[in-house]
Amino acid sequence: MDDQNIKNLLANVKAPPVDDNARKRAVNLALSEFEAAGKAQNQTNKTFFQGFISLARLTNTITQDNRRKDPMKKKHIYGGLATAMVVVLVAGVSFQQFSGEFAPDKVLDLGLIEQTGMVAVLDEETIAPAFIEAIKQQNEAEPNLARPRAGEKLKGLEQKQKNESGLDHMAALDYAFADGRAEPKKLLATPEMQKEQTISTKQNSRMLQEGIVGNTLMAGAPSGAVANLYSVTSDYDDSIQQGYKDIGRDKFEDFKENPIKLVSEESVSTFSIDVDTSSYSFMRRQINNGVLPQKDAVRIEEMINYFDYDYALPETKEEPFKPSVTVVPSPWAEGRKLVHIGIKGYDIAPTEKPHTNLVFLLDVSGSMNAPDKLPLLKNSFKLLLDTLEPDDTVGIVVYAGAAGTVLEPTKVSEKSKILNALENLSAGGSTAGAEGIRQAYQLAENNLTKDGVNRIILATDGDFNVGITNRDELKDFVERKRETGIFLSVLGFGQGNLNDHMMQTLAQNGNGVAAYIDTLSEARKVLVEEASSTLFPIAKDVKIQVEFNPDSVAEYRLIGYETRALNREDFNNDAVDAGDIGAGHTVTAIYEITPKGGPLTIDENRYEKTEEHKAKTDFSDEYAFLKIRYKNPNEDTSKLITTPITKANDVDSIDKADDDTRFATSVAAFGQLLKGGKYTASYSYGDVIDLAQSARGDDPFGYRTEFVNLVRLAKSSGTMEKSAPVLHKEHPMHR
Amino acid sequence: MNKPEDDTLISSARNGDSRAFEMLINRHYERMFAIAFKWTRNRADAEDVTQTACINMAKGIRRLHNEKTFTTWLYRIVVNAAKDFFRQNNRTQTLPDNYEPFSEALNPEEELYMRERLEEIYALPEKERDALLLVFGEGLNHRETAQVLGCAETTISWRIHKARNHLNSQREKKG
Repeated sequence: MDDQNIKNLLANVKAPPVDDNARKRAVNLALSEFEAAGKAQNQTNKTFFQGFISLARLTNTITQDNRRKDPMKKKHIYGGLATAMVVVLVAGVSFQQFSGEFAPDKVLDLGLIEQTGMVAVLDEETIAPAFIEAIKQQNEAEPNLARPRAGEKLKGLEQKQKNESGLDHMAALDYAFADGRAEPKKLLATPEMQKEQTISTKQNSRMLQEGIVGNTLMAGAPSGAVANLYSVTSDYDDSIQQGYKDIGRDKFEDFKENPIKLVSEESVSTFSIDVDTSSYSFMRRQINNGVLPQKDAVRIEEMINYFDYDYALPETKEEPFKPSVTVVPSPWAEGRKLVHIGIKGYDIAPTEKPHTNLVFLLDVSGSMNAPDKLPLLKNSFKLLLDTLEPDDTVGIVVYAGAAGTVLEPTKVSEKSKILNALENLSAGGSTAGAEGIRQAYQLAENNLTKDGVNRIILATDGDFNVGITNRDELKDFVERKRETGIFLSVLGFGQGNLNDHMMQTLAQNGNGVAAYIDTLSEARKVLVEEASSTLFPIAKDVKIQVEFNPDSVAEYRLIGYETRALNREDFNNDAVDAGDIGAGHTVTAIYEITPKGGPLTIDENRYEKTEEHKAKTDFSDEYAFLKIRYKNPNEDTSKLITTPITKANDVDSIDKADDDTRFATSVAAFGQLLKGGKYTASYSYGDVIDLAQSARGDDPFGYRTEFVNLVRLAKSSGTMEKSAPVLHKEHPMHR
Repeated sequence: MNKPEDDTLISSARNGDSRAFEMLINRHYERMFAIAFKWTRNRADAEDVTQTACINMAKGIRRLHNEKTFTTWLYRIVVNAAKDFFRQNNRTQTLPDNYEPFSEALNPEEELYMRERLEEIYALPEKERDALLLVFGEGLNHRETAQVLGCAETTISWRIHKARNHLNSQREKKG
């Protein structure tokens, strides 16, 4: 490429006409800054001589390079010395060998790296004049060597360009593919193709980036390793700018897996249900990118509840759900049993759907400007719009640097107006989420439907970094607003800066659901197929309490629900918030129990109370007693459903259990393996695959098949992780 | 553009005249936007960058020593804003807007070829790309570029030289 070529190419990057609004905004901001700066200066002028201020003048001596130089001076001296030594060596060797095939490119790279900077530094420091001489000689020698070669290259290139035939272009296309650098292809592609293309390119590069970090995290390597990987594999050591990267900053709440408990010590287990699914989608994304997710990102109950199970439905609306219980032998621990508790919510018939008042609260901060964020969000909401009735209303509030209402509540019958508002969104600025939430509640309140559903759907990729940023404060705010009858659901987008903890806090306290949207098909699952469960709550504050019978159960362990644990006394306290169930939602909880006489993990107390536990009646065939509390969506007093878990629920072997039980078991096993496999003994990914494979059942949407594939992928990344603790990935920019 | 008036505007702005500053910034917004666009290649990002640049201009104009250096100073402010933008947004490049076809005269294959070459330029290490964009894209000479990027003139020549090498070696690898 010669200079004229470069010029011509760059001339094609022409700015579009200036947007007047953008200009006015910028000018106004600049003006207020100008005035603020003026005030500040007046103050400083009072305290300092004018001449002093002039030291801080913006002249070209205060530049990035010089700023960097000072603290790095030592490095430059030593680095300079080292390089000079190399240069002397290389100069010696190369003068003898240049006629041969001694990799001249490498020599050039070594010798000429920061050549100019180096001479200057050495000059300044006057350390070794001899070295300068050597470098100067080298400089004179090398261009001569380099030029003919460069000339040859150019000639070859020109020839190629002249001869370029259709075939060559196809080849060019091919390597564009292979490279994952798809932009040039845009020209030939249809808009849809383009979209896919950009997404796949993004994914490729993300894979590279995240691959590094993910693996490093898992391997427990020091964070410095990341930097090393970049510099080691890069060709251009002198010019690497360690740019800021949004990777590995996804935030998850720390939690430990539930431990095994002795029934004799703590016979009651209490937790709130959880219908979120975000953990599963996030894990899927990570595994598809070739890394295992962080352990804290794995919430087993969300993985299990991602899937729809065919549990028995309640007959009437009065009783919104009915528990189904199965007890099967544990596939991973001899002598233990798994107690499956499944709940399926009453499903609202399409004609009975209540009137819906929705407010979309959308994050349009600069970070949303990626194909898997704002564009995906727009498309997701378009899908949702299709499921709404013409009478339902939709409002849109956006937030970035500031929050604002983009669309006043509008009837879905005026669809084009809503679509227009969605289309016109663009991303930019910081994230003032709290103010956005305030406005969204305001909008929903103004348009409150008494007997319908009022819900805010928050779509975001991460932090709230302006306004209320304190999680507890936000939580309090959402809690207070919950009483107005407005539900808050949270949809997470993107990766790299996902603040999962914040999403969970908001959704849990705002009576809502948290889901993670990574693809359009996931959006379809959450917003279309499960629209009724996402939108219409049938019960709120659903709590489960299980009391184990010490006569038949020795130990128990709840799989998952770590972040949802409640105190025993919270169960009967209606003021304590818990999870909500939407129409048609299924919730599954699995306990692993050791029946009396089975293999114990915890040693029995030597000084066990000898006082015999005397039951009033004979409960000997009961494992436990299940209690479920819930409130109807518009009520404040809870109702109770109880059922004993007895030997009648027993199934002889896991193979004889129904598909749903077996599949849920396989998901639970996979989740536990991802969390380190502390309780699963020698159970392997292979066993999970076999079990899930046999329990796929109907699987009309292919979710269960997808799960099996995920386990396969996890299996291979798991082995890779073991064999290569630090993976050498190439710098994403220099392939 | 009216040169002497620029100078008067600058010196008034330096003395705290906000009207003068407003005129100045309004006058140069388009140019700043164009520079920002060259770096970001997409409208939304270019607007963000220009906005930051305008704010930084407001902060710095009082310390601008010499009216004559205004143009390079302007460049520096925009280029630095663009660099900060990339850093903050964890990217080295943005997604380019779908820009217009290069030329009607080109057939799709030639166009594709050109586009690939352009991507190669944008995929260069930051320092080399910046130098290349300023010299070839903006038509600055090496001395001005050095002032904008805050380094020695020889460094600019060196970066350009290396950028050329990189571009050529990429061609060789692929071709």
